[in-house]
Amino acid sequence: MRIIVFVKQILDSEAMISVKEDKKSFQFEERFSLNFFDEFAVEEALRIKEKVKDCEVLAVSLGPKKAQDVLRTSIAMGVDRVALIESERYSILDPTYTAKVLSGFAKKEGFDMILCGERAMDDENGIVGVLLAEYLKVPYVGSVIKMELKDSRGITVNSEMDGGLFVYDVDLPAVFSVRKGINEPRVPNVTGVMKAMRAQIPSYEPSSFGVFSPKTEIVEYHSPGKRPPVKIIEGKTPEEKVKKLISLLKEEAKVL
Amino acid sequence: MDFSLKEEHEFFKKTIADIVDRMIKPKAKEIDEKDEFPWELWREFSKLGYLGLRYPEEIGGMNADKIMCMIFYEEITRGSVGFAQSVIMNILMGTYFIYRFGNDSIKERCLYPAMRGEKIATICFTEDQSGSDLGATRTRAVKDGNGWRINGTKMWITNGPICDFCTVLATVDPSLGLKGLNFFLVEKGTPGFSSGQVLNKLGCRGTVTGELIFDNVWVPDENFLGDELGKGVQYVGEILDEVRLMTGAMALGLARAAYEEGLEFARKRVAFGQPIGKFQLIREKFAEMDTLMNAARLLVYYGAWLLENGMDARIVAAEAKMFATEVCLKVVDEVTRIYGANAFAYEYNPQRYFRDARFLLYGGGTHEVLKDFIGRSIIGKL
Repeated sequence: MRIIVFVKQILDSEAMISVKEDKKSFQFEERFSLNFFDEFAVEEALRIKEKVKDCEVLAVSLGPKKAQDVLRTSIAMGVDRVALIESERYSILDPTYTAKVLSGFAKKEGFDMILCGERAMDDENGIVGVLLAEYLKVPYVGSVIKMELKDSRGITVNSEMDGGLFVYDVDLPAVFSVRKGINEPRVPNVTGVMKAMRAQIPSYEPSSFGVFSPKTEIVEYHSPGKRPPVKIIEGKTPEEKVKKLISLLKEEAKVL
Repeated sequence: MDFSLKEEHEFFKKTIADIVDRMIKPKAKEIDEKDEFPWELWREFSKLGYLGLRYPEEIGGMNADKIMCMIFYEEITRGSVGFAQSVIMNILMGTYFIYRFGNDSIKERCLYPAMRGEKIATICFTEDQSGSDLGATRTRAVKDGNGWRINGTKMWITNGPICDFCTVLATVDPSLGLKGLNFFLVEKGTPGFSSGQVLNKLGCRGTVTGELIFDNVWVPDENFLGDELGKGVQYVGEILDEVRLMTGAMALGLARAAYEEGLEFARKRVAFGQPIGKFQLIREKFAEMDTLMNAARLLVYYGAWLLENGMDARIVAAEAKMFATEVCLKVVDEVTRIYGANAFAYEYNPQRYFRDARFLLYGGGTHEVLKDFIGRSIIGKL
């Protein structure tokens, strides 16, 4: 069995970002991390591997050379193989372009299962997984919070949506996007870290998997507006505070 | 010249930083408040294998170079000084002489379990009347049959009250001064070996520090750790530079922890209608802190680079320990000022950083002793 996990390097959530004057690009503090949701995908793949004989887990990233770091993190966690599809710089990529390139890679390698995080925390698109399934013509289940392999041809997955739970029996090969709660990602141990530090990361050109053109173009970036200051309602008793709150909601915020 | 970290070092730093952020930092406040050894965290962390950091891979270590070691010391201290102190004791001073001189049986009993975190190690230098002045060591080892009989009391022993074994510095003849000093291994359960007073410390809480008593303790010859008698001080010299640089790296880690919180506070805290980070006097603090921390970092990692390349690091290591620690004291102080009165409350972390930083003054040599050493080394014998 071969499981491919697509992982993305994103700007660390605590990195300082500001939009440049031309609004076409932004400058950022050089702090990167493995996309939060992708870590769950790597962990889930490794948990499946631990239960199955002859299972290979392959982590793949589309991104700049620096994205090697997230592949090293994946190796440290325990994946067998990694590949970097190198795009020249860090940027918000068109999701259809990303999905086309990644599906080209998956077709070339062959796979039984593809796992990815439910969305990247930088662009928040959350559609690469479903596009991948479409381009590869295989089933897709999103928001997965539990996976139970039946045999090499099928898997039962729980998908959580709007507070409800959907249970699917899915024929493999298939694509799944996972969400927080599916597992607790492992902390890399020394053996994994040493393996990761020494690993040679194979790199590919996106064009090796076909020539694709983006379907969308980012016209402008805007910084989020500043939040209005917080107002703390003073009062000696809860009743007095509630009265003041209602009055403010009516007269100032005009929402009542 | 190349000041950049190698790719492997960058990756190691990021990995350790993530582990610290995930496992250690969230527990730092509790470790400090409870002031108890965090056994659960110890077990969880030691399972990952980092306690073998500086030992060869053949025996289950990581064979980390000196730069990696500094990265590790810095990052783990950024998480919790109290926890870092216990971890580093197992990694470096508590096991070095066992690794260097222990026979196979001793390594099986002590070194390998300590690298796995199954045993707690420590080293005993300090006594109630001697610290930097090793020549004043009163703990005595006397030849007795096929072994040595040890008598004395050690104080300020990191991990002491919970240790499974310790490397003890003892004199075989007080009249010989430094030339009479030697190391011996004493294991828990040896008759006459016990722990005494547990210290209630200002900072580095969570590390259990205290007194160890050697009352007519007999150990076999194999527990003598050395090639020949009288070379104890020479053996200390083998790791002294690393210990000093390690203390400098710890100071850097603690300074960073305080600095990062101060920065977040300065960006968010509003006074007079704007974030306090917009005020020039607050900006000045960050300009100074950043400059000093960069200078300290260069000195610590330069020292590590010298060591790694087999060059003389004695002066730089002493300077790095002294400078980085003084920088740390300055940074934790400035951060308490940025936090204002909040820094005086136990609810916030700056008071912990302020307390913890004081400890770094003493380990690896007081600054009074280090300054004398540096000055003497530079001027030479007159």
